[in-house]
Amino acid sequence: MSDYLSATGLEVSFGGLRALQDCSFTVERGRITCLVGPNGAGKTTIFNVITGFLRPDAGTVSFQGTPLDGMKPQAIVAAGIARTFQNLRLFVDLTALDNVVVALPSQTGEEPLAAIFRPLHVARAQTRHREEAMQILQHVGLAARAGEFVRNLSYGEQKLLTVARGLATGAELLLLDEPASGLSASALDQIMDLLRRLQTEGKTLLVVEHNTRVVQQIADEVLFLHQGHLMARGTPEQIISDPALAEIYFGGVI
Amino acid sequence: MDFWLSYATLASIYVLLGLSTNLLVGIAGIFSVSQAAVFGVGAYIVSYLLMNEVTSFLPAMLVAAVFCVLLNVLVTLPALRVSGDYFVVTSFGIQLLATAIFTNWTFGTGGANGLPGIPPADLFGKTLDSTTQMVELCVGAMILGCLAFWLIMRAPFGRLLRAIREDELAVAAAGKNVLRAKVSAAAMAGAFAGSAGGLYATFLSFIDPSSFDLDASILLLTMVVVGGARTLAGSIIGPFLLLALPQVLSLIDIPTTIAAAARQLIYGVLLIAFMLFRPQGLAGEKL
Ligand SMILES: Nc1ncnc2c1ncn2[C@@H]1O[C@H](COP(=O)(O)OP(=O)(O)O)[C@@H](O)[C@H]1O
Ligand SMILES: [Mg+2]
Repeated sequence: MSDYLSATGLEVSFGGLRALQDCSFTVERGRITCLVGPNGAGKTTIFNVITGFLRPDAGTVSFQGTPLDGMKPQAIVAAGIARTFQNLRLFVDLTALDNVVVALPSQTGEEPLAAIFRPLHVARAQTRHREEAMQILQHVGLAARAGEFVRNLSYGEQKLLTVARGLATGAELLLLDEPASGLSASALDQIMDLLRRLQTEGKTLLVVEHNTRVVQQIADEVLFLHQGHLMARGTPEQIISDPALAEIYFGGVI
Repeated sequence: MDFWLSYATLASIYVLLGLSTNLLVGIAGIFSVSQAAVFGVGAYIVSYLLMNEVTSFLPAMLVAAVFCVLLNVLVTLPALRVSGDYFVVTSFGIQLLATAIFTNWTFGTGGANGLPGIPPADLFGKTLDSTTQMVELCVGAMILGCLAFWLIMRAPFGRLLRAIREDELAVAAAGKNVLRAKVSAAAMAGAFAGSAGGLYATFLSFIDPSSFDLDASILLLTMVVVGGARTLAGSIIGPFLLLALPQVLSLIDIPTTIAAAARQLIYGVLLIAFMLFRPQGLAGEKL
């Protein structure tokens, strides 16, 4: 049996703090998998390991049967995995459109000699890239804001833009770090709708999410992480109705 | 009249240096204080090749440019390993090392006495020995340099560099090779500085280490700060303005003995004042 994404025996420690301990899980193709767990459980650390930003002390991650050990972030993106950041990390001095264009893969004119010696060729390619980026913005519902600088976008729009930037890489597996946190009710509906649409288009999503309502509405499967270890996995109903998990997650109040 | 011609020539050469510094410091965010050293290497290489009649001017420029590309990549590699603050110190060391070599390697550089009698530039077999011809050559080179800079900055490469300056990690997460982009920027900066060196040597027909020392590197940084980082206009305005300063000083009646000190003083004050009150320079963005 070959899993789409699988992590086996991940160990990460920061000094004395063990952020991941014998952490193993799988993600299945075409599904929305929600990664839940209390603050500090190691969810972001898992993203950092999968995307090559952090070497685990032990354990391995493989994607479509190929181990990702030791691969650089750019190689992992090329393999088809992209991520967003909990703290967004958008390019605030660029426009929304340019934030997306930057992430489009292998563009003509990305190195200086082509820029200088083939300007017309580069300009034509740029027009294409801009159209492509515009379609992605359209898709996430930001087309009207394309020319706006990031700092003028609302928080909800910025979150949508991080997803757009992930989509621009062409990756088929998207790791989204708290895409719905801090959003108003209407922005929440918008992002949930977007995630469902991405799923129907064939993307696989691994989503860190705190809001149980959101988890119930979008997740096919839930991974419950506690102190760097996968404690449980199941459908949203199974996870939410488990009193032991609720105790950990909400400190007894549900 | 002759004064204006040599001012325009020199300013054109310094625009190339301003572009070089802007690419490296302003755009790639590699805070180098040793760009004058690379400038110097370009100047000494072209001088050597012309004085010993090894090649004519254009091939000599090409050799200098290629060598300075390699040198600048080598010099900035530490910047890609150590973080910003440490690199300034490394770069400072590189500048001191270069000055020591320029001053003491008498056989290659003429040492502290410098190299006199550098032949004028030539193009396609024709010697450019008049001031007018030289100003045409340097202004032409400046225009080509500006065009190249403009093309680079409006291409995906420029956008990539801007994004890297904002958030390297996010650029890596977008699947881009940050290291390669930075090395390319350093390479371009080297080509600009090396070509400027060759023009400078043939224009003045005499060079010595004082044109390529730490003060010169700081002057280049001041030009970028005053003109404004990351814009073409800033890279042009800075050099033209700061090179006019010595002339303005010579209009007011101060003894020549303190003129040099006064100039350094003004550069220092300008640097501090712009950083505090107008960090975006006259026509650019914040460094
Ligand atoms: N770079 C780091 N250095 C030190 N400790 C870290 C680092 N990154 C995360 N941690 C610690 O590891 C634990 C897990 O963090 P994280 O993965 O961000 O949790 P989550 O995303 O689930 O809230 C936390 O205790 C956090 O403080
Ligand atoms: Mg987190």
